[in-house]
Amino acid sequence: MKINVMTDVLEANDRIAAANREIFNRNRNLVVNLMSSPGAGKTTLLERTAEALAGKAKLGVITGDIETSRDAERIEKHNIPAVQLTTGTACHLDANMVASAFPYLDLSRIDILIIENVGNLVCPAEFKVGEDCKVMILSVTEGDEKPLKYPLMFRESSLLLINKIDILPFTNFNMEEARANALKMNPELEILEVSCTTGQGIEEWVSWLTQCWQNRVESLRSA
Amino acid sequence: MAIAQNILDIAVAAAERGGAQKITRVNVVAGEMRAIVPPQLAFCFGVAAENTIASEAELNLEIVPVRGRCRGCGEDFAIKDFSYICPGCGGRDIEITGGTELRVRDIEVL
Repeated sequence: MKINVMTDVLEANDRIAAANREIFNRNRNLVVNLMSSPGAGKTTLLERTAEALAGKAKLGVITGDIETSRDAERIEKHNIPAVQLTTGTACHLDANMVASAFPYLDLSRIDILIIENVGNLVCPAEFKVGEDCKVMILSVTEGDEKPLKYPLMFRESSLLLINKIDILPFTNFNMEEARANALKMNPELEILEVSCTTGQGIEEWVSWLTQCWQNRVESLRSA
Repeated sequence: MAIAQNILDIAVAAAERGGAQKITRVNVVAGEMRAIVPPQLAFCFGVAAENTIASEAELNLEIVPVRGRCRGCGEDFAIKDFSYICPGCGGRDIEITGGTELRVRDIEVL
Protein backbone atom coordinates (compact mmCIF):
# COMPACT_ATOMS: atom_id res chain seq x y z
CA MET A 1 0.00 0.00 0.00
CA LYS A 2 1.13 3.50 -0.77
CA ILE A 3 0.60 6.49 1.55
CA ASN A 4 0.94 9.97 0.09
CA VAL A 5 3.05 12.21 2.28
CA MET A 6 4.26 15.29 0.36
CA THR A 7 6.03 16.77 3.37
CA ASP A 8 9.04 19.02 3.09
CA VAL A 9 11.97 17.30 4.75
CA LEU A 10 12.99 20.47 6.57
CA GLU A 11 9.44 21.47 7.53
CA ALA A 12 10.08 20.98 11.25
CA ASN A 13 13.17 23.19 11.07
CA ASP A 14 11.42 25.85 8.99
CA ARG A 15 8.60 26.05 11.53
CA ILE A 16 11.06 26.75 14.35
CA ALA A 17 12.92 29.22 12.13
CA ALA A 18 9.64 31.12 11.65
CA ALA A 19 9.14 31.21 15.44
CA ASN A 20 12.70 32.53 15.86
CA ARG A 21 11.90 35.17 13.27
CA GLU A 22 8.94 36.37 15.36
CA ILE A 23 11.22 36.75 18.36
CA PHE A 24 13.78 38.68 16.29
CA ASN A 25 11.01 40.94 14.97
CA ARG A 26 9.82 41.70 18.48
CA ASN A 27 13.34 42.60 19.57
CA ARG A 28 14.11 44.51 16.36
CA ASN A 29 17.25 42.49 15.68
CA LEU A 30 18.97 42.34 12.33
CA VAL A 31 20.07 38.71 12.14
CA VAL A 32 22.91 37.61 9.90
CA ASN A 33 23.77 33.95 9.31
CA LEU A 34 27.53 33.93 8.73
CA MET A 35 28.91 30.92 6.90
CA SER A 36 32.24 29.76 5.51
CA SER A 37 34.75 26.92 5.43
CA PRO A 38 36.72 26.23 8.62
CA GLY A 39 39.54 28.72 8.92
CA ALA A 40 38.21 31.27 6.42
CA GLY A 41 38.13 33.93 9.13
CA LYS A 42 34.62 34.02 10.64
CA THR A 43 35.74 34.60 14.22
CA THR A 44 38.44 37.11 13.24
CA LEU A 45 35.87 38.98 11.15
CA LEU A 46 33.60 39.13 14.21
CA GLU A 47 36.43 40.55 16.30
CA ARG A 48 37.11 43.26 13.69
CA THR A 49 33.36 43.90 13.40
CA ALA A 50 33.03 44.31 17.17
CA GLU A 51 35.77 46.95 17.14
CA ALA A 52 34.38 48.80 14.12
CA LEU A 53 30.77 48.79 15.34
CA ALA A 54 31.59 50.03 18.84
CA GLY A 55 29.41 53.07 19.54
CA LYS A 56 27.37 52.64 16.33
CA ALA A 57 25.27 49.55 17.01
CA LYS A 58 25.06 46.87 19.68
CA LEU A 59 26.40 43.56 18.45
CA GLY A 60 25.59 40.10 19.77
CA VAL A 61 26.94 36.75 18.63
CA ILE A 62 25.78 33.15 18.66
CA THR A 63 28.58 30.90 17.59
CA GLY A 64 28.43 27.24 16.68
CA ASP A 65 31.25 24.76 16.89
CA ILE A 66 31.46 21.02 17.02
CA GLU A 67 33.59 21.22 20.18
CA THR A 68 35.20 23.85 22.46
CA SER A 69 34.08 27.35 23.42
CA ARG A 70 37.19 29.10 22.10
CA ASP A 71 35.29 31.23 19.60
CA ALA A 72 32.92 32.72 22.19
CA GLU A 73 35.87 33.43 24.51
CA ARG A 74 37.63 35.35 21.73
CA ILE A 75 34.53 37.41 21.02
CA GLU A 76 33.68 38.12 24.67
CA LYS A 77 37.07 39.81 25.08
CA HIS A 78 35.57 42.62 22.98
CA ASN A 79 32.71 43.09 25.50
CA ILE A 80 30.21 41.55 23.11
CA PRO A 81 27.55 39.18 24.47
CA ALA A 82 28.34 35.79 22.92
CA VAL A 83 26.79 32.37 23.34
CA GLN A 84 28.67 29.28 22.29
CA LEU A 85 26.65 26.35 20.99
CA THR A 86 28.54 23.10 20.77
CA THR A 87 26.82 20.97 18.20
CA GLY A 88 28.46 17.67 19.13
CA THR A 89 28.54 15.91 15.80
CA ALA A 90 26.32 18.19 13.73
CA CYS A 91 28.04 20.08 10.93
CA HIS A 92 25.63 23.05 10.95
CA LEU A 93 23.36 25.06 13.23
CA ASP A 94 19.64 24.50 12.86
CA ALA A 95 16.73 26.66 14.03
CA ASN A 96 16.25 24.68 17.23
CA MET A 97 19.90 24.98 18.28
CA VAL A 98 19.76 28.74 17.71
CA ALA A 99 16.57 28.97 19.81
CA SER A 100 18.39 27.16 22.64
CA ALA A 101 20.74 30.17 22.92
CA PHE A 102 17.93 32.68 23.60
CA PRO A 103 17.81 32.19 27.40
CA TYR A 104 21.47 33.23 27.54
CA LEU A 105 21.16 36.42 25.49
CA ASP A 106 19.23 39.61 26.16
CA LEU A 107 17.97 40.12 22.60
CA SER A 108 16.27 43.39 23.53
CA ARG A 109 19.71 44.88 24.08
CA ILE A 110 21.10 43.74 20.74
CA ASP A 111 20.80 45.57 17.40
CA ILE A 112 22.75 43.23 15.16
CA LEU A 113 22.91 39.53 15.95
CA ILE A 114 25.46 37.56 13.99
CA ILE A 115 25.09 33.79 14.02
CA GLU A 116 28.46 32.28 13.28
CA ASN A 117 27.66 28.94 11.73
CA VAL A 118 29.81 25.81 11.87
CA GLY A 119 32.66 25.94 9.33
CA ASN A 120 31.25 24.04 6.35
CA LEU A 121 30.15 25.10 2.86
CA VAL A 122 27.34 22.58 2.45
CA CYS A 123 24.92 21.90 5.29
CA PRO A 124 24.59 25.38 6.88
CA ALA A 125 22.99 26.64 3.64
CA GLU A 126 20.18 24.09 4.03
CA PHE A 127 18.93 25.10 7.47
CA LYS A 128 17.15 28.41 7.97
CA VAL A 129 17.51 29.76 11.50
CA GLY A 130 15.24 32.82 11.21
CA GLU A 131 17.84 35.15 9.73
CA ASP A 132 17.38 38.27 7.59
CA CYS A 133 20.24 37.34 5.32
CA LYS A 134 23.14 35.01 4.80
CA VAL A 135 26.68 36.30 4.44
CA MET A 136 29.54 34.05 3.44
CA ILE A 137 33.28 34.35 3.61
CA LEU A 138 35.59 32.84 1.01
CA SER A 139 39.29 33.20 1.73
CA VAL A 140 41.77 33.43 -1.11
CA THR A 141 43.63 30.31 0.04
CA GLU A 142 40.54 28.21 -0.70
CA GLY A 143 40.56 28.73 -4.46
CA ASP A 144 38.50 30.71 -6.96
CA GLU A 145 36.50 27.69 -8.17
CA LYS A 146 34.61 27.24 -4.88
CA PRO A 147 31.38 28.88 -6.09
CA LEU A 148 31.07 26.14 -8.71
CA LYS A 149 31.48 23.41 -6.10
CA TYR A 150 29.09 24.76 -3.48
CA PRO A 151 26.31 26.35 -5.51
CA LEU A 152 23.58 26.44 -2.86
CA MET A 153 25.56 28.52 -0.40
CA PHE A 154 26.59 31.09 -3.02
CA ARG A 155 23.05 31.11 -4.36
CA GLU A 156 21.51 31.76 -0.95
CA SER A 157 23.94 34.45 0.23
CA SER A 158 23.32 38.18 -0.07
CA LEU A 159 26.94 39.19 0.45
CA LEU A 160 30.23 37.46 -0.24
CA LEU A 161 33.31 38.63 1.64
CA ILE A 162 36.54 37.59 -0.06
CA ASN A 163 38.95 37.50 2.87
CA LYS A 164 42.73 37.40 3.31
CA ILE A 165 43.34 39.61 0.28
CA ASP A 166 46.55 40.78 1.95
CA ILE A 167 48.12 37.47 0.94
CA LEU A 168 46.59 37.42 -2.54
CA PRO A 169 49.98 37.90 -4.30
CA PHE A 170 51.25 34.68 -2.73
CA THR A 171 48.37 32.55 -4.01
CA ASN A 172 47.14 31.47 -7.42
CA PHE A 173 43.66 32.83 -6.60
CA ASN A 174 42.24 34.67 -9.60
CA MET A 175 39.96 37.46 -8.34
CA GLU A 176 38.24 38.04 -11.69
CA GLU A 177 37.55 34.33 -12.03
CA ALA A 178 36.19 34.09 -8.47
CA ARG A 179 33.87 37.05 -8.98
CA ALA A 180 32.64 35.69 -12.32
CA ASN A 181 32.00 32.23 -10.85
CA ALA A 182 30.12 33.66 -7.89
CA LEU A 183 28.00 35.99 -10.02
CA LYS A 184 27.17 33.18 -12.42
CA MET A 185 25.63 31.33 -9.46
CA ASN A 186 23.95 34.41 -8.07
CA PRO A 187 23.80 37.58 -10.20
CA GLU A 188 22.39 39.55 -7.23
CA LEU A 189 25.32 38.71 -4.95
CA GLU A 190 27.25 41.66 -3.54
CA ILE A 191 30.98 41.12 -3.18
CA LEU A 192 33.48 42.90 -0.92
CA GLU A 193 37.22 42.23 -0.71
CA VAL A 194 38.51 42.34 2.85
CA SER A 195 41.48 41.51 5.00
CA CYS A 196 40.73 40.91 8.66
CA THR A 197 44.49 41.13 9.33
CA THR A 198 45.18 44.56 7.80
CA GLY A 199 41.63 45.89 8.22
CA GLN A 200 41.21 46.58 4.51
CA GLY A 201 37.53 46.56 3.47
CA ILE A 202 36.26 46.29 7.05
CA GLU A 203 34.79 49.79 6.91
CA GLU A 204 32.78 48.88 3.77
CA TRP A 205 31.57 45.66 5.42
CA VAL A 206 30.47 47.50 8.55
CA SER A 207 28.62 50.14 6.55
CA TRP A 208 26.88 47.36 4.57
CA LEU A 209 25.88 45.82 7.89
CA THR A 210 24.64 49.05 9.48
CA GLN A 211 22.72 49.90 6.30
CA CYS A 212 20.96 46.52 6.50
CA TRP A 213 20.18 47.18 10.15
CA GLN A 214 18.72 50.62 9.37
CA ASN A 215 16.61 49.13 6.58
CA ARG A 216 15.41 46.46 8.96
CA VAL A 217 14.42 48.96 11.66
CA GLU A 218 12.71 51.07 9.00
CA SER A 219 10.69 48.16 7.63
CA LEU A 220 9.64 47.05 11.12
CA ARG A 221 8.47 50.57 11.89
CA SER A 222 6.33 50.79 8.76
CA ALA A 223 4.94 47.26 9.24
CA MET B 1 22.49 12.83 8.98
CA ALA B 2 19.98 15.44 10.14
CA ILE B 3 18.26 15.18 6.78
CA ALA B 4 18.13 11.38 7.01
CA GLN B 5 16.65 11.63 10.51
CA ASN B 6 14.00 14.10 9.32
CA ILE B 7 13.06 11.82 6.42
CA LEU B 8 12.72 8.91 8.84
CA ASP B 9 10.62 10.91 11.32
CA ILE B 10 8.26 12.08 8.57
CA ALA B 11 7.93 8.55 7.14
CA VAL B 12 7.31 6.91 10.52
CA ALA B 13 4.73 9.55 11.50
CA ALA B 14 2.88 9.05 8.20
CA ALA B 15 2.96 5.26 8.58
CA GLU B 16 1.62 5.45 12.12
CA ARG B 17 -1.18 7.77 11.05
CA GLY B 18 -2.07 5.23 8.34
CA GLY B 19 -1.98 2.34 10.83
CA ALA B 20 0.84 0.56 8.98
CA GLN B 21 3.05 -2.09 10.62
CA LYS B 22 6.11 -1.76 8.43
CA ILE B 23 7.60 0.64 5.89
CA THR B 24 9.08 -1.03 2.81
CA ARG B 25 10.02 1.99 0.74
CA VAL B 26 10.37 5.75 1.19
CA ASN B 27 10.22 7.86 -1.97
CA VAL B 28 11.99 11.20 -1.70
CA VAL B 29 12.14 13.95 -4.30
CA ALA B 30 15.43 15.87 -4.10
CA GLY B 31 16.33 18.87 -6.22
CA GLU B 32 19.81 18.88 -7.67
CA MET B 33 20.45 22.20 -5.91
CA ARG B 34 20.27 20.48 -2.52
CA ALA B 35 23.53 18.67 -3.28
CA ILE B 36 22.33 15.42 -1.75
CA VAL B 37 24.80 12.56 -2.17
CA PRO B 38 22.51 9.51 -2.63
CA PRO B 39 24.76 6.72 -1.22
CA GLN B 40 25.63 8.84 1.78
CA LEU B 41 22.00 9.70 2.50
CA ALA B 42 21.00 6.04 2.06
CA PHE B 43 23.69 5.01 4.53
CA CYS B 44 22.61 7.60 7.12
CA PHE B 45 18.97 6.64 6.64
CA GLY B 46 19.85 2.98 7.24
CA VAL B 47 21.59 3.85 10.50
CA ALA B 48 18.75 6.11 11.67
CA ALA B 49 16.12 3.48 10.79
CA GLU B 50 17.64 0.69 12.87
CA ASN B 51 15.10 -0.72 15.36
CA THR B 52 12.20 1.22 13.84
CA ILE B 53 9.33 0.11 11.58
CA ALA B 54 11.46 1.39 8.69
CA SER B 55 14.46 -0.83 9.47
CA GLU B 56 14.03 -2.76 6.22
CA ALA B 57 12.82 0.15 4.13
CA GLU B 58 14.52 1.13 0.92
CA LEU B 59 15.20 4.85 0.46
CA ASN B 60 14.45 5.81 -3.12
CA LEU B 61 15.70 9.20 -4.30
CA GLU B 62 14.38 10.92 -7.37
CA ILE B 63 16.80 13.70 -8.32
CA VAL B 64 15.13 16.69 -10.02
CA PRO B 65 17.32 18.82 -12.29
CA VAL B 66 17.47 22.58 -11.70
CA ARG B 67 15.19 24.54 -14.04
CA GLY B 68 14.74 28.25 -14.51
CA ARG B 69 12.56 30.74 -16.32
CA CYS B 70 13.96 33.98 -17.71
CA ARG B 71 12.00 36.98 -16.44
CA GLY B 72 13.20 38.89 -19.49
CA CYS B 73 12.15 36.72 -22.43
CA GLY B 74 10.14 33.99 -20.68
CA GLU B 75 12.35 31.14 -21.85
CA ASP B 76 12.12 28.00 -19.70
CA PHE B 77 15.36 26.03 -19.58
CA ALA B 78 17.42 23.46 -17.70
CA ILE B 79 20.19 25.07 -15.68
CA LYS B 80 23.38 23.17 -16.35
CA ASP B 81 26.52 23.57 -14.25
CA PHE B 82 24.64 26.08 -12.11
CA SER B 83 24.85 28.77 -14.76
CA TYR B 84 22.01 31.20 -14.11
CA ILE B 85 22.16 32.91 -17.47
CA CYS B 86 19.34 32.66 -20.03
CA PRO B 87 20.46 30.72 -23.12
CA GLY B 88 17.85 32.65 -25.16
CA CYS B 89 18.64 36.31 -24.43
CA GLY B 90 21.63 36.20 -22.07
CA GLY B 91 19.48 37.70 -19.29
CA ARG B 92 20.47 37.20 -15.67
CA ASP B 93 17.10 37.70 -14.03
CA ILE B 94 16.21 34.04 -13.65
CA GLU B 95 13.42 32.61 -11.56
CA ILE B 96 14.22 29.11 -10.30
CA THR B 97 11.25 26.89 -11.14
CA GLY B 98 12.55 23.50 -10.04
CA GLY B 99 15.42 21.65 -8.46
CA THR B 100 15.33 23.19 -4.99
CA GLU B 101 12.75 20.86 -3.45
CA LEU B 102 13.44 18.25 -0.80
CA ARG B 103 10.29 16.34 0.00
CA VAL B 104 9.09 12.95 1.18
CA ARG B 105 6.66 12.19 -1.68
CA ASP B 106 5.12 8.94 -0.43
CA ILE B 107 5.86 5.77 1.46
CA GLU B 108 5.06 2.14 0.70
CA VAL B 109 3.89 0.16 3.69
CA LEU B 110 2.59 -3.22 4.82
